[in-house]
Amino acid sequence: MKKKIALLLAAVLAATAMTACGNGAADSAAPAEETVTEEAATEEAAAEEPAAEDAEGEASYVFLDETLGVESYAIGFRLGDTELAETVSGAVQALVLDGTYDEIGKKYPDIYDYLCLKAEDIDESKLPERGSGDPNFTFKHGFDLDYPPYSYRQDDNTVGGFDVELCQAVCEYMGWGYEAVPFNWDAKDAELNAKSCDCIWSGFTKEGREDQYTWGITYSNNTQGILVASDSGIKTLADLEGKVVGVQTATSAYDMLQDSKADLAATFGDLKVYETYTVAYNDLKAGAIDAIAIDMTAGSFLIAGDQ
Amino acid sequence: MSLSTMLAAMGEGMLRTCLIFFLTLLFSLPLGMVVMFLRRSRFRIVQSITKIYIAIMRGTPLMLQLLMWYFGPYYLFGMSIRGYRFAAIIIGFSVNYSAYFAEIYRGGIEAIPKGQYEAAEILGYSKAQTFFKIILPQVVKMILPSVTNEVITLVKDTSLAFTLAYNEMFSLAKQIAASQTSFVPFVIAGVFYFIANYAVAYAMERIEKALDYYN
Repeated sequence: MKKKIALLLAAVLAATAMTACGNGAADSAAPAEETVTEEAATEEAAAEEPAAEDAEGEASYVFLDETLGVESYAIGFRLGDTELAETVSGAVQALVLDGTYDEIGKKYPDIYDYLCLKAEDIDESKLPERGSGDPNFTFKHGFDLDYPPYSYRQDDNTVGGFDVELCQAVCEYMGWGYEAVPFNWDAKDAELNAKSCDCIWSGFTKEGREDQYTWGITYSNNTQGILVASDSGIKTLADLEGKVVGVQTATSAYDMLQDSKADLAATFGDLKVYETYTVAYNDLKAGAIDAIAIDMTAGSFLIAGDQ
Repeated sequence: MSLSTMLAAMGEGMLRTCLIFFLTLLFSLPLGMVVMFLRRSRFRIVQSITKIYIAIMRGTPLMLQLLMWYFGPYYLFGMSIRGYRFAAIIIGFSVNYSAYFAEIYRGGIEAIPKGQYEAAEILGYSKAQTFFKIILPQVVKMILPSVTNEVITLVKDTSLAFTLAYNEMFSLAKQIAASQTSFVPFVIAGVFYFIANYAVAYAMERIEKALDYYN
């Protein structure tokens, strides 16, 4: 019995040791210590940055100035669901006018600059009235929980994100019930077609999918870029020749590299397709890949979460 | 997210993982017995159908089977699948695991020498008596190590429920890893699985010892 307890303890200890090595773990395991030394640490890092990069292997990460292209995020509905799409789009516009859109946006500084709806462009006459929806209707919001800051599990273990809050505000405005339907991103079309959700609203890129859904309003823009270590020597897209680039499966960055940017992808040494960007980012940090193709907001979120 | 919030969230996920685990065992262990009887049926046609069933269950990825169980009713019959998610997961796991258990049971039963059946017949045991009083107790002892193997695999396979967006522990680990840009949740998940499997192995070892009454 003693032997078993010892074994178990050893396993826990080993796990603790492993977690202590990661930056994230140090943050969460010792919050008190962190607050004391945080300022000092940032100053130190800022001062020593150029020298420390080689010594510590703690490089910083930047986006290339050249991008892969701009994309727009919109709400996807089942083909033919025009009426619902128009109502929801109208409600979103009404929320822009009353300031809710801006208010929610301010909670997510990583994406605030990319929000593209402006009050002055909106035609007030066509919008649905507040509370004009059927109170018995429950709007089923389909989204991916792996996609911060649009839809994700927040620090207090609740489901949130810009898209989730905006959708909840739309339901509140219309007087509908709200139902969260988190799904597995690879199965999003099956979920939508089988009517387990009414829309796909989760940082969902419109480009390249124009004919596959009935589209609601475009509420945010984004730019697809290439994330590299600042000391990697990669400055332009042409420098990626022969390099190993990572991307997350079923993302628009992935679609671009398969389709409109296939010529560029052909110059890569290898394109590694990951299940999540978290793993890709760790591979980048470990030096196993040279760059990541990712949108600016998700990329900024990864970099910010690492500091 | 503090480490305690993370542990609490994943602990909650662990409860859901355990729920899948226990419900799957509850249904698949007896169902495996039924499949095994059908597989050993005297009727050739029943035997062949069961063989095909086992071949499909063992020969296709469980992930694909889960998708089929959940979306199948809609795509094949146009049925509404609201609120059916969890049931689909349990059906998918139980039906899949019953195929493996059936083969384990069969291996155990076919290892019993024919002479025992003949002896039981001479002593006046009925077929049912022979099976439940003589054959089954020996079979249970023999197959336990193989069953343990399968049960441990099940603990880890529960993570496949992420395909149907059920928030079991590994799905939560992935979500938290994405929002915290950290590997810590995966390490915690590893520790949780290890502890769960250690408990399973320990319990099965105790059962094996308890049944080892002839030595």
